[in-house]
Amino acid sequence: MDRATRFDAHFAFVATGRREAEGLEAADGLIPAAFAPYRDLARLRHDYPLVLTREPRGPGPVHSLSGLVDRVLRELAPKGMAGERLRKQALRLERDIRARAFHGQHGLLSELWEHAAAATGTHSGDNSEEVLRYTASALKLDGDTVACDAAMPARLIAHAWEEGHAARARAFRKLCDALCVRLADILRAAFIHSAAGMTAEALRASVGSPHGDEFDFAAMSRLVSRRAPRDELPAARRGRIESALATLRSQRFYPDPRAAEGEAASAYEFRFADCAAAAAAFRERLPAMVETVKAIAIAELETEGRYDPAHHDGFFEEFASHSLNAEDLALFPDYLVCIEPGRNADPANANLMEMLSSGLPVKVLVETGDALEEATLGSGHFAFGVRSTRLAMTATSLGGVFVLQAPGSNLYALRERIAAGLAHRGPTLFSVFAGSDEPAAGLAPYLTAAAAMQSRAFPSFSYDPHAGGNMAARFSFENNPQPEADWPCAALEYSDEQLQREVAHPAFTFADFALCDRRYAAHFARVPRDHWNLAMVPAADWLALAGDAAAQHVPYLLAVDADNVLHRVLVDTRLMQATSRCLTLWHRLQELGGIHNSHAERLLAREKAAWEAQRAAELEALKGSVPPERGKGEDEVAATAVPAAQVAAAAVPEAQPEPARDPAVAWIETARCPSCNECQLINDKLFLYNANKQAYIGDLKAGTYRQMVEAAESCQVSIIHPGKPWNANESGLEELLERARPFQ
Amino acid sequence: MTMPVTQCIIKLHEERHDLEDYQGGVPRWCSGCGDNAILTAVQRLCRDENLAPERTVFVSGIGCSSRFPHYMKTYGFHGLHGRAFPVAEGIKMARPELKVFVNTGDGDCCSIGAGHWIHAIRYNMDMVVILHDNHVYGLTKKQASPTSPIGFKSNTTPRGSYLEALNPLTVTLGVQNVSFVAQAVDWVPELLFDIINAAYHHKGFSFIRIIQRCPEFLPKVFEPWLADPAKTLILTHKDGLTLSPETARTYKNQLAHDPADIDRAREIASSEDPIPVGILYRNPDVPCYEEVRHAGAMRTAAQLRAGLDAELDRVTVWPRS
Amino acid sequence: MHASVSPRPPLEKEALVLEEHIVEVISDSGEGAQRCGQSLGAIAAKMGNGIWTTEIIPAEIQPPARSVAGASGIRIRIGSGPVTNGGDETDLVVAFNEQVLLGRVSAGELKPGATILLENSWREHRDPKVVASYLETVKMLKEGGFRLYELPLEAACSKLVTDPRRGKNMFVLGILCEIYSLDAKTAHDQVALTFGKKDAKVVKVNQGLVDAGRAWAAEHIDFKFRIPAPAVKEPLVVVNGNTALGLGVLASGMDICSMYPITPATSTSHYLSECFERVGGMVHQAEDEIAACAFAVGASYAGRCAVTITSGPGYSLKQEVIGLAVMTEIPLVVINVQRGGPSTGQPTKAEQSDLLASTYGSHGDAPKVVMAASGIEDCFYSVITARKIAETFNTVVVLLSDASLATAQQPFPRPKFSEDWMAPPIDQTPVPEGMKPYDWDPVTGIARRFVPGQPGGMHTLTGLAHDRASKVAYDATSNEEGLRHRSLKLAALQKTLKTPEVFGDRTGELLVIGWGSTKGTIEEAVARARKEGLAVSSMHMKYIQPMPSGIREILKGFERVMTVETAWSDLPEDELIDEDNRRYSPLALILRSRFVVDIDCWGQARGQPIKPGALLEVIRKKLQEPPR
Repeated sequence: MDRATRFDAHFAFVATGRREAEGLEAADGLIPAAFAPYRDLARLRHDYPLVLTREPRGPGPVHSLSGLVDRVLRELAPKGMAGERLRKQALRLERDIRARAFHGQHGLLSELWEHAAAATGTHSGDNSEEVLRYTASALKLDGDTVACDAAMPARLIAHAWEEGHAARARAFRKLCDALCVRLADILRAAFIHSAAGMTAEALRASVGSPHGDEFDFAAMSRLVSRRAPRDELPAARRGRIESALATLRSQRFYPDPRAAEGEAASAYEFRFADCAAAAAAFRERLPAMVETVKAIAIAELETEGRYDPAHHDGFFEEFASHSLNAEDLALFPDYLVCIEPGRNADPANANLMEMLSSGLPVKVLVETGDALEEATLGSGHFAFGVRSTRLAMTATSLGGVFVLQAPGSNLYALRERIAAGLAHRGPTLFSVFAGSDEPAAGLAPYLTAAAAMQSRAFPSFSYDPHAGGNMAARFSFENNPQPEADWPCAALEYSDEQLQREVAHPAFTFADFALCDRRYAAHFARVPRDHWNLAMVPAADWLALAGDAAAQHVPYLLAVDADNVLHRVLVDTRLMQATSRCLTLWHRLQELGGIHNSHAERLLAREKAAWEAQRAAELEALKGSVPPERGKGEDEVAATAVPAAQVAAAAVPEAQPEPARDPAVAWIETARCPSCNECQLINDKLFLYNANKQAYIGDLKAGTYRQMVEAAESCQVSIIHPGKPWNANESGLEELLERARPFQ
Repeated sequence: MTMPVTQCIIKLHEERHDLEDYQGGVPRWCSGCGDNAILTAVQRLCRDENLAPERTVFVSGIGCSSRFPHYMKTYGFHGLHGRAFPVAEGIKMARPELKVFVNTGDGDCCSIGAGHWIHAIRYNMDMVVILHDNHVYGLTKKQASPTSPIGFKSNTTPRGSYLEALNPLTVTLGVQNVSFVAQAVDWVPELLFDIINAAYHHKGFSFIRIIQRCPEFLPKVFEPWLADPAKTLILTHKDGLTLSPETARTYKNQLAHDPADIDRAREIASSEDPIPVGILYRNPDVPCYEEVRHAGAMRTAAQLRAGLDAELDRVTVWPRS
Repeated sequence: MHASVSPRPPLEKEALVLEEHIVEVISDSGEGAQRCGQSLGAIAAKMGNGIWTTEIIPAEIQPPARSVAGASGIRIRIGSGPVTNGGDETDLVVAFNEQVLLGRVSAGELKPGATILLENSWREHRDPKVVASYLETVKMLKEGGFRLYELPLEAACSKLVTDPRRGKNMFVLGILCEIYSLDAKTAHDQVALTFGKKDAKVVKVNQGLVDAGRAWAAEHIDFKFRIPAPAVKEPLVVVNGNTALGLGVLASGMDICSMYPITPATSTSHYLSECFERVGGMVHQAEDEIAACAFAVGASYAGRCAVTITSGPGYSLKQEVIGLAVMTEIPLVVINVQRGGPSTGQPTKAEQSDLLASTYGSHGDAPKVVMAASGIEDCFYSVITARKIAETFNTVVVLLSDASLATAQQPFPRPKFSEDWMAPPIDQTPVPEGMKPYDWDPVTGIARRFVPGQPGGMHTLTGLAHDRASKVAYDATSNEEGLRHRSLKLAALQKTLKTPEVFGDRTGELLVIGWGSTKGTIEEAVARARKEGLAVSSMHMKYIQPMPSGIREILKGFERVMTVETAWSDLPEDELIDEDNRRYSPLALILRSRFVVDIDCWGQARGQPIKPGALLEVIRKKLQEPPR
């Protein structure tokens, strides 16, 4: 068969997806070449399995096994040989535990550690068992070990949520208990000062028991209650306090753990499997929530003695759900909804978007088991459905929603963001692609998930509406590989027929990801080595080709079989269209993440041009005036041209000039008046005090020039300036003017 | 107040007070006495901070200065000569939520109460301490006080006082745990207020020495300073005082001083002339005794019963069964 | 060497049954005699015996070894019934060296012919002077008719512990357990409790020492006693007076105790510092006694009734502040654990000489309540009652204890906490229009207090004379009004006090009146006297100011009345002393002035509790005198 017919055959497949021509085979059993090194995850040291711990004051509720082992080694392993030995043993143990977890063995870390230690011990036949047991003691924490399977995301997020819930419960109890004690104290104080608190019985009870017969309590009661103020709690106040107490003691959001059996109010449930149930529960509890907030507010006012019926009664009558703001709600538990893969289309979750947009304190986890679900219109059309891969993107447009989209493989790396999402006041959406447990093409969920992100089919990002004023601050483009590139490329080493070492850098595209999924096998055709030709271009490059050029070439992927033999696999147009659509969506994401932002780039270009023009002009000017000395580089010249930065203003305000004054008018340097009352004692109409009790001239008519002069003389700080007499008929003016001179 | 809703309710109808609401009895100080200026400045503070009169306590000892509480319409404790500090400490320990002020004089604080003074600085309990220093015993009619200038002729030192005056600033700055020291003069009311205000906002033992004129017994002593603003050295700093243009115009003798610098503060403190005015030292990180000792802890009968039973268990002889 | 290596069979001996016995263990300080004695007391108490332990404390912390002055130890009176005081002279003493023993002998603290168990390692001491002194003492004691046993403590203990000096006390405990037939298991438990804070090894070692001591005694001591005891019916607590005070402070719901270190009061504060914070309270160690009292006044003023605890010199220093509390009518509890005076006096010794200072102390007319705890149990309950009185009558309550109660242990029924004991929460209710801070009730003088935080109650409290509005007032009317009402409050309290019981018949030839720690001693002496057929009764005063009604009538019932106090009074037999100049002991003086009756007094100021035997003698003599 000549090159031309061979190309036609290839082209025919690409165009039609029909694989008739000989030399084109099904791509069964092939996986993207990039996966070659990752076949056995259990041997690979990575974040998983995780350990979920429950220390209130611990270093966070989520740990990776490898992280813990490293920490222990940092603490225990001495320098030198001994340390090396321990390190080896610990790492062997870690691998063992990882393998157990990987093959579905669950349980506490301590248990797995125990088993693994025993195994390593018997295996190595040395003292490593004791050593490792001892090492375990340095862990100082324990918890469930969780492998990266499809169930992991739900467990991880639920666990983090529970820890947050517990912390809030403690805070609430602290506040609530304190208020209850204070309210009870008000009642008790009132009782003790009331007539009831001064009966003979009450008095007898309050002295040391054996002293009961040393006193005549009837007489004591009679005497001390002569002036006993009646119970001074007005009925209304008593009622308020008692009902607030009752509400706080019976609230079911965080019931008192120490309350005796029976007394304890049953706690509300805050975890739900679908949105409808969560929304219903929230609505049903709203009144109780309002009552509790009200009780707390009343309690705080009452215990501070600041409750004022005149103002507050009305306020609390009006008090209803709309009176609650985010901070008040933050006191109460968040609702957790974990939607299993495949159930997000369920009618019970139809109100997801509505719930998110209405700002309820809800944390929703939507899991996608399938990043490549087929469009409802079927037959190999790809969906990029809003219910799965596009869900998160859609949620960001709702406003106050915190959104985190990530593949399961990255949840540990993103634990800070998960925490942020749980701490977020308002709704939060976690959209996670976990990969499914029936391994497509024998790939572990961890790999499928990672691949979904690599291939940009399920990129990772987060959106925090409260993080800042602009998109750059709110949107973060979480650890996608090579975010600035279209597709990530990894070096691939292989050896050719002549066993010569070769290195290729194949891009990992959406098509590669599809290759992992048997459902799409029809879109691929394996080309035997002897049929390879120059018209074949890597899929990523093929996308870049313009119409004609595209028609001259066919796209292929590099794949490997079970024996890691390298193959080329043709991809048909329909899948390539999906791939390019995926790329468009990726570009949009990039722009949100600030990469290749079109607006920014346009702006930058303009500014750059302007700046260069100006700089050129300035240089011209300089050259015109002083010719730069030899050796003096342009940069320095330019530096001098840069406008000087503003100099920080002096701390001391520079003294301002005196305002012009008419020397004939009496005045006082009010600011310097030490309020010593001297002038006021002379005449408190002529001299007045301002709001700060500092003197100024009041009504001249109310006083005489004599008084003015006497005041000036008696003023401790000589700040009274008498000016000229205002009543020419006043006697002894000459003498007074003489006395006034020093103060003018 | 933890609940935002409570805060907003309070803001909604907060009753504001004006100077008169804090004015108690009519001051019986001599006319022209510097105490009036201090009273006014403190009342301004109460008004501007809108302090609840029933949750504010002024504690004093004995002396002219110590009549201060009687002229405030808050709670007040006019106790014993020299004992204002321990009383105030007891109050603060029992009721950390109360705002506590101490008014004391040079005799009260630096002589008969000197021991308590030193230790009060150590405890660093959160209170504002105003030392009304007029350099003389006024109430007992003119005897030399520890801060009287040497050579001062009084009824007990007719041939002039014999000893160098004690400098309250250097003494206070010499005690470990000191957390706030400032000096004011009654004749610069603006700064007097600013300094009291700064002291109020410092968490800890805020010691202000106010040099205060006594026209009755020391009419001449302060005149040089009143006459010549240059004899008053104003300490300015972004963390200390910043002056209004008016004051800056009158008092041109200014020095930039960082209140965090204790060594410099000690140097400045020892200057008698010019008189330094401003915040000499401030360290917000010194722990307060009432917090170290968890004052105002919640007490319930259940807790007490449990505690007592636990103690009794250790010494109980149970019947043999 | 007496320490036998080969185990001998226990000696054949029948346990002699006793009504009671007084045991003493004395050593150089630091050798743990007190720990030994306290353990012995606790074990006996657990067996159901009545006990009373009295510590023998040297004034210095590190007195020279082997010195008469340095004697540090403890007396334990063990009885088959309840024991209310330390009793008379010692029946059996264990001494770690002959010098500390000599001190006790010369002080006449040992019964004639008492049994002495004496460490004998001094025989082989390298310093010939020590050996000589030892041998001489032994000779002297034998001649003195004492029953002397020499113990190889050093030798025996060095087999079990590296430093025998540290182990001796537990070995001796074992010996005493054997001698008094005390239960081995109980002993082990007690050791475990004593060393509970330390690790299990320490406990084991000490239990080993106890067993060794027991075994040694079984082999070498040729006598054995048994003091029968009724089984313990209700739970009892065994604490000393100062701990009881501390527990009382806890139970009273007060939450601030402010103090300054002083002997013998301080151990109360030590105890409180340990446990107070766990229930939200705090001990404030002030810079001095004055500050301690002023701090308490500040706290009380702010709404939390506080207590300040001190002893003699400290009490003098507090007078000015106490006067302030009286003048301003701030409730305050002042505990004075009395010691020997005047001045620094005898810090570690017992005396009841602060009664007048407590009653009349502080200048001006400063009426305050004075009450005295009459026993260990009473120390506990009196704090609760004191706080209640202070807050009910807005007054200062001085609660007196003394050095003899401070360190004495006596079991009493375990208290059952009552919430009503607790101090009331701080009243923050608004003050009604027109109420004044000193709204004295014309009859009782009681006014309602305003505390900071109460809206509308703002006022300035002052130590100056003041009117009902708390405004300074120098006018005659206001001044007398204040004096009158502050004084009336005591009358009001007095009207609620019941007449004290008379111990014995309400009529007779002699009435003995005491107060505070002497109750047990006096009643024991009186009981013995009555057995002898003497017509004597006694009465004990708990409230000295105000004094309950009905006493005048009681006095009328007796031909002679005499107070008994651990305090000085002039001796009539002294040449210069006559009726015109004799200085009576405090209570006698107060009673004479109040009832205008000729009341005699007898007392001792020997630094130790009065012994019932000594008092019995006095009573016998007194009854021979013609009635006056």
